[in-house]
Amino acid sequence: MKNISKPLILIALLSGFLNSCSKMEELQDDPNRTTDATPELILTQLEIQAFNNIGTSAALASRHLVNTDGVNSNQYYNWQRSDFGNYDLLKQVRQMVLEAEEDELSVYTPLARFFNSFFIVGLTQTFGDVPYSEAIRAAEENFTPVYDRQEDIYLIVLDDLKTASDELAKNDETILGDVIYNGDHLKWRKLINSFYLRVLLSLSAKTGNPGLDIAGRFREIADAPSAYPLLASNEDNGALPFHDIEGNRYPLFQNNGLQTAFYMEKTFVDKLKALQDPRLFSFAEITPAAADQGLTANDFEAYNGLKGSVPLDENVQIAVNGNASRINKRYYDQAGNEPSLLMSYSELQFILAEAASRGWIDGDADAYYREGIRASMEFYNIAESAINTYLENPGTQPDPGNEIASILTQKHIAMFMNTGWQIFYEQRRTGYPEFDVSGGGVLNNGKIPKRWMYPSKEETQNGKNLEAAITRQYPEGDNINAEMWLLKEE
Amino acid sequence: MMKHSLIILLLSITPRLFAQHEVSGKVTDTDGIPLGGVNISVAGSMQGTVTDFDGLFTLETGSSQDSLVFSYIGFKALTVPIAGKSQLNVVLKEDTEELKEVVVTALGIKKETKALGYAVQEVQGDALEKAKEPNFISALSGKVAGLNIKNSTDLFQNPEISLRGAKPLLVIDGIPDRTADLWKVNADDIENISVLKGATASALYGSVGLNGAIMITTKKGKEGKLTVTFNNSTMFQPSFIKVPDVQTTYGNGDNGIYAYENGSGGNTEGGGWIWGPKLDQPDPSTPSGFAETPQYNSPVNPETGELTPLPWISRGKDNISNFFRTGLVQSNNLSVDWGNDKASYRMSLSNVYQKGIVPNTGLNNTSFSIGGSLTPSEKFRVTSGLTYNKQYTDNFPQVGYGPTNYLYNLVLWTGVDVDVRDLRNYWKEGQEGYQQRHFNTSWYNNPYFQAYEYLRGYDKDNLFGNLAFEYKATPELTVKGRSGVNVYSLGRTYKEPKSYLGYNDKSRGNFSLENTNYFDITTDIGIRYEKDFSDNFSVSGEVAYSNFYRKETYQYSSTDGLNIPGFYNLDNNAGSTLTGTNREEEEAIHSFYGFVDLEFYNAFYITFTGRNDKVSTLSKGNNSFFYPSISSSVVLSSLLDMPEWITFAKLRGSWSRVSDGKIGNIAGLNENDPYNYIQAYDKGTSWNNTKGERFPSVRYSNLLIYHALKPKTVDTWEIGTNIRLFRNRLGIDIAYYQTRDYNNLENIPLSDASGFGTYLLNGNIYKRKGVEFTVNATPVQSDNFRWDAQINLSQYRRYLEEIYGNKEYTEDRLQVGDRTDKLNNASVYQTDGQGNIVFENGFPVSDPYGRFVGYSEPDWTYGISNTLTYKNLSLTFQLDGRLGGLMYSTTNQKMWWGGISPGTVNQYRDDANNGESTYIGEGVQVVSGQVTYDTNGNIVSDTREYAPNDVPVNYISFMKTTSNAHNENYHYYSQTFIKLRELTLTYNVPDKFISKMPLDAVSVSFVGRNLWMASKVPNVDPDPGKDDLQAPSTRSIGFNLNLKF
Repeated sequence: MKNISKPLILIALLSGFLNSCSKMEELQDDPNRTTDATPELILTQLEIQAFNNIGTSAALASRHLVNTDGVNSNQYYNWQRSDFGNYDLLKQVRQMVLEAEEDELSVYTPLARFFNSFFIVGLTQTFGDVPYSEAIRAAEENFTPVYDRQEDIYLIVLDDLKTASDELAKNDETILGDVIYNGDHLKWRKLINSFYLRVLLSLSAKTGNPGLDIAGRFREIADAPSAYPLLASNEDNGALPFHDIEGNRYPLFQNNGLQTAFYMEKTFVDKLKALQDPRLFSFAEITPAAADQGLTANDFEAYNGLKGSVPLDENVQIAVNGNASRINKRYYDQAGNEPSLLMSYSELQFILAEAASRGWIDGDADAYYREGIRASMEFYNIAESAINTYLENPGTQPDPGNEIASILTQKHIAMFMNTGWQIFYEQRRTGYPEFDVSGGGVLNNGKIPKRWMYPSKEETQNGKNLEAAITRQYPEGDNINAEMWLLKEE
Repeated sequence: MMKHSLIILLLSITPRLFAQHEVSGKVTDTDGIPLGGVNISVAGSMQGTVTDFDGLFTLETGSSQDSLVFSYIGFKALTVPIAGKSQLNVVLKEDTEELKEVVVTALGIKKETKALGYAVQEVQGDALEKAKEPNFISALSGKVAGLNIKNSTDLFQNPEISLRGAKPLLVIDGIPDRTADLWKVNADDIENISVLKGATASALYGSVGLNGAIMITTKKGKEGKLTVTFNNSTMFQPSFIKVPDVQTTYGNGDNGIYAYENGSGGNTEGGGWIWGPKLDQPDPSTPSGFAETPQYNSPVNPETGELTPLPWISRGKDNISNFFRTGLVQSNNLSVDWGNDKASYRMSLSNVYQKGIVPNTGLNNTSFSIGGSLTPSEKFRVTSGLTYNKQYTDNFPQVGYGPTNYLYNLVLWTGVDVDVRDLRNYWKEGQEGYQQRHFNTSWYNNPYFQAYEYLRGYDKDNLFGNLAFEYKATPELTVKGRSGVNVYSLGRTYKEPKSYLGYNDKSRGNFSLENTNYFDITTDIGIRYEKDFSDNFSVSGEVAYSNFYRKETYQYSSTDGLNIPGFYNLDNNAGSTLTGTNREEEEAIHSFYGFVDLEFYNAFYITFTGRNDKVSTLSKGNNSFFYPSISSSVVLSSLLDMPEWITFAKLRGSWSRVSDGKIGNIAGLNENDPYNYIQAYDKGTSWNNTKGERFPSVRYSNLLIYHALKPKTVDTWEIGTNIRLFRNRLGIDIAYYQTRDYNNLENIPLSDASGFGTYLLNGNIYKRKGVEFTVNATPVQSDNFRWDAQINLSQYRRYLEEIYGNKEYTEDRLQVGDRTDKLNNASVYQTDGQGNIVFENGFPVSDPYGRFVGYSEPDWTYGISNTLTYKNLSLTFQLDGRLGGLMYSTTNQKMWWGGISPGTVNQYRDDANNGESTYIGEGVQVVSGQVTYDTNGNIVSDTREYAPNDVPVNYISFMKTTSNAHNENYHYYSQTFIKLRELTLTYNVPDKFISKMPLDAVSVSFVGRNLWMASKVPNVDPDPGKDDLQAPSTRSIGFNLNLKF
């Protein structure tokens, strides 16, 4: 017996280990992630994503900047594909709505309409037809959403934006998690209404389309400022501020490339010089050669640019000889720099100016134009006196024969390093300002592309729907030079 | 009859003493057939010999009254007194008990080799003892067919291990090590390593054994006298077998111009290119006689305040050898063991010190291990072992391409106008602690600054051990149990000085801390039954219950900038808040398993196994699952009359199913996270509003998770044979296997428009196939000389058998039937269909569709090792490598891109420096027409007409844009290589020299590793199987001293 009992003790001991952790169900809750969220937690994320659009690609494609590290496809216009990243954000919008419904909150619904519109417009402007009515339906096991016609998408967007504005006007629930407007309903309505006008203006080729009734819709908003308030000052800007806090810094802060291989584009610099536009001092550094000559930052002669369209080596040669202006240091050495703009008061003024000039509304195009310039210059903290001088300059006066060209030229200046790809789309829509392709270095047979190819993932994962969309839109195939519905005059 | 050649080798080392009596004779079996390789020793002494192929022997003994002991595996040992005779003819009888050559199989169960229905290959610990690698796994390279080890050239980086194409389980003394720490077992403590190659072999481990197992058995106390062993191994790394070869003709700069202003982009010096002016150009007008220009180290002219021009010469030609130092791996082990029939005990103390080739880097690895057994009665036995291991370093290099990589700063992006010796003084004068001194402070770190100021500490305490018992309740029934724990705590620190550069990040100083605490326990309790019903039929089997539990916690904290430079403490945070995160993980598996072994006529063996796992890592309802296996072996040589030269022949076959209920190794998920089956929100960015209030956020995962995931399953069948010829002088083992991997838990891509980028579900189906050959041979065996050789050869392939949802292509553009290593989606340039590259404006045109460039898996992986023994000298050398298979080389791509590749030294470059565009890429340009593609990238219509490309472009612009990709197979290079992995020359000091000392045995070895290599890929060692800018590959040379007291 003695010999048996001791081994038994060991068995008992080991069995003790077995029992120590037998409740498996208790191990099946994730302590690291939440499965439940409140809508405001998602709203914060959506705002950060939607309002933060700082980058260099659009600046290269819009003849604001030039890169000397290689033949950049944005600068030389031989880009190919873009991505469907916005659908992830559309899903976040949907989650926000679901969580809000669970909490019986309705104020997030109009915000959701706005974000949905913002993200889908971003997609359709890039590609043409894209999935929308069947998009974000994976939970219902629809993994291959059909592509909606661009026209249908815009119809939904226009209705949604108006509904959002109306709904928000009637809602007095608190908006939480709002890093843009701190829950200010009025400012949100101003942004939504102003964005609605931007979308309408982007359809300027479609004034003859009776179903859209672009001008009528535009007037409905612009002529009813109490029902549909608009952005009224830079204070109302749809802007995301940056902070000197980990993760919240200006996206190009300490960017290696920006301080060594990005230069101002020559046609842009020359224009600012010709206009004696003091915003140049805020955008650019003086050239090393000018510095060697002792020229100062407020001397227009101290600035020079590189032509985006000439062969790379010609630009490199000018740059290494110290004859090109870099972008202003603040873009890479200030953590806060300037806020990122989803849409600014200045842009709204240019929109109204163009609408007036097109005869959609009755206002004074010239006054809107001047107010747009003033707002932009105030954004860059240009002194009042300098602004007034600038507004009096002959070069600043709108071209009476081609007001729209003047408006777009000023819009192009005002959108330097902000508002994402907006200025590229404006140029695509109007042809103004002209983007230089004369230098002999431009690829894509010297043409500016009109769109991007669909993501290759759509080819493998949603091939049939993609193919149908391509066939009905672009007889030449999925091509960057093809013209989408939005750009076709009717 | 059968015997491991290595054991024979060890025993055949014959000390020669002054002879007083010579005896010779012949050894045969009962049929009168001569036995070669029989060990003969003089009882009570170290003297001995082995019989030759004809069974003949001659031996000189100290006295004619000695006795001789004849031993031979498979035969009963026989002691024969010489009794004055000079001729002895001895007949050895076969020993059916002794015939059982055993190997360690799953769960530590020892089985006869001949009974195995699957492939197992053993490596004895002494093969790892002399030619030391910093970790024991690297020392297994080329030694096991089917085990592919890709060794890193960087300090303290895990080699990549794959067994039959998948990562195997590591098992230490029967306890699975899920922490897979390859550094915690010291090679000196390893008795042997048994590689269980397929899922069948390791099926009893359950899901963790899905991909086979590497089983480590540590040394235990041996019965016999008290032995003290000291083993020292010292290896230097004085030189490189592969290092990037760079051009020394041109310096830093761009378009042939270099102008230094402030180092951070004020002029060309900041851009970081090595497309500068020619070096070493005579200029009689300057003081030095060479062209001069201001540089980062120019003295400031006190009168003008300007930088004084310095000669533009190739001062930095030897930057590599000037910066890297001689590495060192020094390993010491002291062990004591003793045992008798009741108890045994071993303790061992080891230390491995590694001095890195990068200054101020190193690694210490210390282990203390105890283990033993108690056998109080014949029925009861307890064994236990416990090891404490500490891995610690104050600094080891960061790897991967980027400004945190030493080679990046030293070679890849530094023209030889910079002499690294001048950078030893690494603070900018007057800005000590704030700004590093370097020729370029916008992109690159001063390598000395990096080595001495950017410190990555690592401190891991491992404790692991096990306790096991066996109690033989009746002759047939044994109760057994085993419990093992793995515990570790790991603390890591990151000290980042001010002005340290990352991509788009100039540090304001930072201090980060990471702490992990880990615990797991595996406990098995079971009953074993065994009975020999007759000589021709026996049964054994086991049923057991097993329980696994793991808990892991992790914490991370970091400053957001530092106030006081060089003061690394969270309290020195300059930011408004500390950043931090933490995790906690718990998981469990409850299992029942069992097996039955049947044996008939000593020739047929069948094993059935079964296991049921219930896991916490899948949702309820899908988390309990059963899987079986069957394996069988037939010993033909016992059944049939074989020719005499066939010593042994067997056929084996097996089938198994193993399922795994843990989701791991999926992009976007943490590999060991037990909660991966749960759909949830991820933490998002927090942001301040304009009032300074901080808002947290969440975002919904971009990965959709199927709600009823099933465990993934691998079905494997395998056949093989083991044949030994000429009395074991030649042994051949061949294995062929096929697996079908289904219900794979993987991310299936979705149209992003569906709302999710990927869908985690039981997805595609794959098939793996492979073949492995092992040949053991003893081509020469005589009294004084013996040559043993082993050849390992294997091939492995994986195919796509089914695409989830029956889609035409996967995201990598693979189709059903394709090898999964097919590189079918590489970014390439357009061609005209005849293989000519299409150019526009002198630049190649990108193809919007990914294309085929080759296959990444090697065709064959091989290893050849030889041991030549002459008297007391033995020489071991091993050659191994891979044949075929492509790897992408970041180093080569960047060298072409940046201008440091020797291939860029040509007339076009001189022309470009002179502002002339003369380079015309070889290819065509489109003169008319266009091409359209279908959505799969196939050409639908093509009306293009071509003319040869005749547009000259600036060579520098061309290289900066293309990296010469189209001329370098898009930087996919063949991995083919052969390496002299190991060379060991050992001298066993004869007894006559050590008999007067208090020593039992002494051996001294000269050791070399990685001595020579031939390969196809330029500039990098293909051994790691990938290249993300690896450290130069070093050669190791040193010695080993082994003393036994």
